[in-house]
This record gives sequence, structure tokens and C-alpha cells, in this order.
Amino acid sequence: MLAKIKWKLSEKMYIIPLIVLVIWTVTPMIWAFSASFKTKVEVYETPPTIIPNLMNFSNYMTVFNYDHFWRYLFNSTFLAITSTIIAVVASILAGYAFARYAFKCRHLLLMLILIPRILPRASLIVPLFAGISMVGLADTYLSLVITYTATAIPMATWILAGFFKVIPKSLEEAAAIDGAKSWQIMWYVIVPMSLPAILTVSIFSLREAWNEFPFALAFTQSQEMRTLPYQLFMLRDSMGMQDWPVVLAFTIVSILPLLILYLIFEKRVVNGITSGAVK
Amino acid sequence: MDAAINLKKQKRRKLLTPYLLILPGFLFVFGVLGYAVLYGTLLSLFDMDLMKAETGFVFLDNYIYLFQNAAFLNSLVRSLIFVFGSVSLGLVLSLFFALSLYRATRFGNFLKGLALVPYLVSGIATAVMFRFLFSGDVGLINQVLITLNLDAVNFLAHPNWALFVAVLTNTWFIVPFATLILLSGIQSIDPELFDSATVDGASKSKVLTKIILPLISPMMGISLVWLSFASFNMFDVILPLTGGGPNRATEVLAVYMYNVAFDELKYSLGSAVMVIILIFNVATSALYLKIFNTDD
Repeated sequence: MLAKIKWKLSEKMYIIPLIVLVIWTVTPMIWAFSASFKTKVEVYETPPTIIPNLMNFSNYMTVFNYDHFWRYLFNSTFLAITSTIIAVVASILAGYAFARYAFKCRHLLLMLILIPRILPRASLIVPLFAGISMVGLADTYLSLVITYTATAIPMATWILAGFFKVIPKSLEEAAAIDGAKSWQIMWYVIVPMSLPAILTVSIFSLREAWNEFPFALAFTQSQEMRTLPYQLFMLRDSMGMQDWPVVLAFTIVSILPLLILYLIFEKRVVNGITSGAVK
Repeated sequence: MDAAINLKKQKRRKLLTPYLLILPGFLFVFGVLGYAVLYGTLLSLFDMDLMKAETGFVFLDNYIYLFQNAAFLNSLVRSLIFVFGSVSLGLVLSLFFALSLYRATRFGNFLKGLALVPYLVSGIATAVMFRFLFSGDVGLINQVLITLNLDAVNFLAHPNWALFVAVLTNTWFIVPFATLILLSGIQSIDPELFDSATVDGASKSKVLTKIILPLISPMMGISLVWLSFASFNMFDVILPLTGGGPNRATEVLAVYMYNVAFDELKYSLGSAVMVIILIFNVATSALYLKIFNTDD
């Protein structure tokens, strides 16, 4: 009997780590979110309030009225979307080649394209910055689009190649017999069938670019070129006496677009990772 | 005759196709990343300093200088502590979370989705939120300490506490991805193995140590690579959180490199630090994969 109770208890034990998981994950975010609606004074109150005394959106208004705020938002969006489109197209092509063609040095080349995954982004800024200034690309969108695209391609190629491999070949053969050209096969057969994988890869790439900081910090100088994370960093840097509610409102604004995107495709992304495609 | 030439042409085109397909991707990856590694390595062997006019080949002088420099050695030690702390805490947490997420039936999907959320948050935003959480006056942690009648601690002004907070922040940021990698390993285990083990009277801890851990060891290797890779190169989280301070207590290698290259404008020295970071990354990755990927 006692053993049975013990067993039952231990059956339920997994709930404890789950509670830890929830608290661990949400505390920093809830605390920041709630403070973003508080007044400057309320933040200092002890004991702290989780639900603000008065929902006040003035911090968000301050953020939206910042000089260049909309420009930063545009920069982040533009860079994330452009680099993702280029990276995904290049990775579809390369992934298809690795999945379907038996060519010389295939394995070596696939390994080579994976090596950059163990190259730390931040550590590359010194030589990259030197090269970018040498060719006169410092402080341009192009410098960021190119570098963001390059860092997104290895993982995207790897995931897509793995996905293309499991698509039955017979579909392509049938299309070929019907006289479809290679690019038509790719566009009308392969791409529609791999939309889930393409979506996962795109979200990974969007996330990388949207959150990127070291490249933006090193390669741009003028204020109009800053991205949201860059400006958030400057905000924290420049305010002597920290206006926490405004800084936190800015933080929430910078997180939210990606979070909403993630909420829409959450299942896809989680399955994409847990199905073992990402390594 | 013409037909034969055409056929030959077609064949050659077929042979070339895969190379053309991978060309754009390779141009980006090697034009940017390959270039950076090669040029950085080259730079590290020269004496390129924007403050000085002449540049010359100095071979390993930059490395020798670094290993005799107190600030670099401090940053190396701080990095090792930071990585060791983040990786051990990160592995324990992600294993705990993955095991419990596997068991979670109700809200299982919701919890998996929630577990990944920090992965979507930028390093800067993470750092700002943790700075707020641990700040001396308004931080939640201190508010709780005061409510419990304990003394408030100015975490980020204390060298050791600041390093501790940096490890915690970094762990929050890197654990989600490792959790899902481990979860994918556990999910791929045949459930019948668990059933037959339980029927045979195996205890919980036996199931964990004799079945789960050995079977997910490749995934452990991959998540360890991810955890230490992300920690070794951490820059986004440290710079806004502590700026490397106080008193260089959290100046990990990536931050040190940035300061040397962009504040002191010593590109060659910065590049030498880059090469050292790269060597550490490759070495630790190879080590983990060797330990955990025995059957491959």
C-alpha cells in the first residue's frame, strides 16, 4: 500500500519541474511587461505590484514618439525580410542539389557548408568590419543584408536538404515525363510539398536577423541605420537615471512582432525542432 | 552528328546543374564567413593598428602579447567560469525540463511552446529584463529580499554577483533550444522500452540512467555543443547587462575582443582573440561529439 502511494506520488513528480519551467520562463517577461504600464514612481514601490495601479499607456506613446522610432522598426523589418528571402531561396536551391544529385565532393561540400555553424557571429566582426569598410559598404543596408543572409544559409540548407530527401522521387519523375522543366518541377512540386519546412527555416532566419546585434553595432554608424535591438542597447546606455517603464515598453515592443509570428506558427516550429531536423 | 553534340551538351549541363544550384549559397557562406576567418587569421599575424602608420608581419607576437596581458588572461578566466557555469546549469535545467515535458500530458503542447519563448527574445531584450529583475533599487529580487526582511544586494555592482547574474541571464537565453533538442531525443525512444522496463520492475532512476541517458547521448552531445558554443561567444547579453563590469568581472572573451578592436582600434589584436575563440569552439565541440557520439 505504502509502495503504491509512493509510486503514485512519484508519478506526479514531473509536475514540479514543469512549475519551475513556467516560473523560470515567464517571471522576467511578466515583471517587465507589468512595469511597462507603471509610472516612474510606481516602479519603486515596495512591496511591488504585479498588476499596475493604473493601466497607463504613456510609456508606449513615448516609445512611438521617439526620434526615428519608425525608422528603426522599418530597418529591423526590412533587414529581416530581405535576408530571409535571399537565404531561403539560396538554401532551397542548394538543399535540392544535395538531396537529389549525386555529384563529386557532395559530402565534403555539405560538411563545408556546415562548418560556419560553429563560427561565432560576434567573433567575426573584426575582420568583417575591416573588409566591409575596405569595399566602402560601411553603414549600408547591403552590408547587413549580405552578412545576415550568409549566417542564415548553413542551417537552412541543412534542414531543407533533409526534408527534400524524404519527398518521394516518383512525383518529380511523373512531372518530368509530362515534360516539366527542372525549375518547373522545383517550383510546382518541391516547394509546395515542403512548405512546412520552408516555413520553419524562414522563422529561424527571421529570428536571427530580427534579434541580431553585434553586426548592426559594428557595421553601422549613423543613427538612422540602427535596428530595434541596437536602439534598445543605446537607450539603456544613454539614460543616466534609468526611466525603467519606458525602457521596458521599448523592450516589449521589440519582442512582440516576432512573438506574434511565433504564436501563429508555434506548433510548426516546435515540431520542426523536436522532429530532429535541427542539429 | 548534330544530335550527338546536342546530347553531349545536355549531359554536360546535367553534370553542372548541382554545382550551379549550390553556387549562390556557397558564394554567400564562403564569401562572407570563409573570408572573415581567413582574413581574421591573416590579420592576427600582422600588426595592424589604426593609431600607427606602419603595418608589418609580426607572426605570433600578438598571441604572445595576449598571453602575457593581465586583462586578456582575466577575460579568459572569466570566460571559462562563465561557460562552465552556463553549460552545467543549462544542461541540468534542460534535461529536467525535457524529461518533464515528455511526461506532460495535459497542456503538453502549450508548455512546449512556452518553453521555447525565450529563444525568440533577443539577447539585448533578455539582458534589459534581467537588469531590471536584479537591479539594486527596483529589482523584483531585491523587493522580495526586503519583504522577507533580508538585506538588499546590489547584484550588478558586485564582481562575483554580477558574474552570477550574467550566467543566470545567459542560461535563460540558451536553455530553450537545448531543451527541445533533448526532448526530440527522448521522443524518439521506443515507448515499449519504458513499458517493458517498468514491468521488469526497474526503478525510475534505473530507467533514467540505463535507458534514457544512453539513448539520448547523441542529443546530449548536440545540446552541449549548442550550450557552450552560445556561451563562449556571448556578447549580446553581457554588453547591455553589465558592459563587462564591474571591474572587468564579466568581461568575457567576445566583449574583450570588441573593446580591443573597436575602442582601442587594435584590429590585429582583436583578430588574434577571434582565432583563440574559434580554436576553443572547435576543440570543445569535437570533444563533446567524441564523448557522446560513440556509435557514429
